[in-house]
Amino acid sequence: MPYTVDMSAAIAKFPEYTFICPLTPSEQKAAFHVKDAAGTDLCLKLIAPHYERDRLDREIQAMQSINNPNVVKLVEYTFSSKPGDLRHYTVEEFVEGQDLQALLTFGTIWPTKRVAEFFSGVCDGLTALREKEIVHRDLKPANIRVRPDGSPVIIDFGLARHLALPDLTQTAAGAGIGTPKYFAPEQFEGTKHDIDHRTDLFALGIMLYEALTGESPFYSPAMTTRAQLQQAVCHSTVHLSKASFLGLDPKWQTLLRRLLEAERAKRPADAAQVAMILKRLGGN
Amino acid sequence: MRRGVWHQCGDRSQKLVQEQLGQGAGVGVILSPRDLSRENAITYSESYQKAGADVLIDYQFYVPDFTNALLGSYPISSFRRSVSALNKISDQDLITFQNELRADHSALKASAVIAPAVVYEAGRTDILQLNSRLFASAKEVSSDLSIPIYASVVLGRSVTSSDQTMQSVLSQATAMSCDGWYFGFEFEDERIPSSREMVRRCCVAGLTLACTGKPVLHAYAGPMGLLSFGFGATGIAIGHSQNLWKFTRDRWAPPSGQGGGGDAPARYFSRALWGTIVYPDETSQIPAALRNQIVSQSPFCAPVSANLQWNRWDAGKHLVYILAQQYSSMAMEADPRKNANAAIDLLGNALTLHMAIQQNNVFLADDTNAYQGNWKLALEDLLKDGKADFDFLELMP
Repeated sequence: MPYTVDMSAAIAKFPEYTFICPLTPSEQKAAFHVKDAAGTDLCLKLIAPHYERDRLDREIQAMQSINNPNVVKLVEYTFSSKPGDLRHYTVEEFVEGQDLQALLTFGTIWPTKRVAEFFSGVCDGLTALREKEIVHRDLKPANIRVRPDGSPVIIDFGLARHLALPDLTQTAAGAGIGTPKYFAPEQFEGTKHDIDHRTDLFALGIMLYEALTGESPFYSPAMTTRAQLQQAVCHSTVHLSKASFLGLDPKWQTLLRRLLEAERAKRPADAAQVAMILKRLGGN
Repeated sequence: MRRGVWHQCGDRSQKLVQEQLGQGAGVGVILSPRDLSRENAITYSESYQKAGADVLIDYQFYVPDFTNALLGSYPISSFRRSVSALNKISDQDLITFQNELRADHSALKASAVIAPAVVYEAGRTDILQLNSRLFASAKEVSSDLSIPIYASVVLGRSVTSSDQTMQSVLSQATAMSCDGWYFGFEFEDERIPSSREMVRRCCVAGLTLACTGKPVLHAYAGPMGLLSFGFGATGIAIGHSQNLWKFTRDRWAPPSGQGGGGDAPARYFSRALWGTIVYPDETSQIPAALRNQIVSQSPFCAPVSANLQWNRWDAGKHLVYILAQQYSSMAMEADPRKNANAAIDLLGNALTLHMAIQQNNVFLADDTNAYQGNWKLALEDLLKDGKADFDFLELMP
């Protein structure tokens, strides 16, 4: 369930900001497009009381350590608790534009040059995460903003994991949090030790497939259970025989096949490698 | 990582390597602290670099509690202990470990750091974690010295027993953010690996690493290095001694006897046979026409042409030279598939030649014709089953 806060209540609590409109909330945060006193557009996120502090600290740490145009910037983090007045929020760069979700729709096929340009930008963002040993773990179209100039920005680090630090998940499995439609096999069937930067590359592969073919490689609206999706992601190769896939240039097929490998060793080594290939395929 | 032949040092290799470099054979040298004191390593490193070679040091933590007097001259050897003891290495100890690593690499002016690592074993998450910690530590040293870091991926027999287990371990090992791979594959204890299945699996593992886009240095390759450029390797490590022709932990087992091969006659390595033939016992039995076909010229085999006495040291130098010549010429070709096909052709011709020798009722010792056919089949399997991998390699700039 998304955490929501009534905008009038938020306005009362944060008079220093001019509220423009509510944004899509997540389970952990209610979000608003606001302007500060200088008129700068920002994204104010009010943190749900149930959000674990440790996890939040990690998220903040992750965002603070990265400075890349393809990764959203954290402007401020505040936690203050006075009797009757709990203020717990983040202020992030407001990314103008729209979610990738609005552009990656069934039946819409992007020109390959545009695919190469856009997703090499996503790869640049993922490379910045990799340099800090951070795995996003919930990469999906709803977590990628598209600026008016068409460049991508990765947002929402609520489930990000810092690989150099102990995992916060208490369960032995611990891999299966996030959005199943963009899960890698190890998120369905692996343990938390199996999650690494190539988990994000699998999600990238799904989005690339959607952009190039206009359909999802694994998900279909006829699926009614998570188990069906899991079966498709972990064991099916139907996506490699779909007409829309087979109609692609063989080089694009090779890249998609590789990104969607069940075994991580068979996926590209990192987003930088994918970016290089995309730039080559896009003719840049 | 420079593309071409790397000399894998072992016991009494140092001068041989100098001679080879003097003949223009090889682009780099991998020092073996098991066989060379730290003081001498620094001296030799300088001379190799003067000859134009890059220098690396392989600490050989493969049997981590193995030690000897030469290893003892490297302060880092204080960390040579059992895997279970190494697993408990404290953060403070890791800092000392790092300092020793930094001091050695700095003194040797090494071109990169090969991260010390234990041999990967199936089902051993402790080893995965240990190697990951050692790698992280070595990576900081490489960063301090502004040189690349190569992750060691040495697959033990328990890992290479099935494709699935191997891929699963490779998935963990390749999570490391490195600049290249130092790759070893443990074979059964035989003179030269001959199992089609195991050789194929070695090539599959190498190809998987090559597909990461990072250079692969095939360690302990020896004559089997003929296949390495075919799976996308960048460097091939060769040495004169048989215990450098494949990775096996027996190299670090306590010596069981006098060793040294006694008075065994010299083995002549023939490019055409891609194997050895005993000199002069076997070479003299072969008709002159066939003998001419198996001759491979090198600066170290003049006595063979004149039917004079030839010693085993020169036979070792000849072997290294011939391997280096062959691999250097293959290194000029960037396309792994073309290199695989070139190796297949060479092995096919070797089989034909072996058959011709047998038709003259000469049966070579050392099972020297036991592997060529299986290597050829293994490469053919690789080309067929690894098509997607080769296609992916071609995508890379």
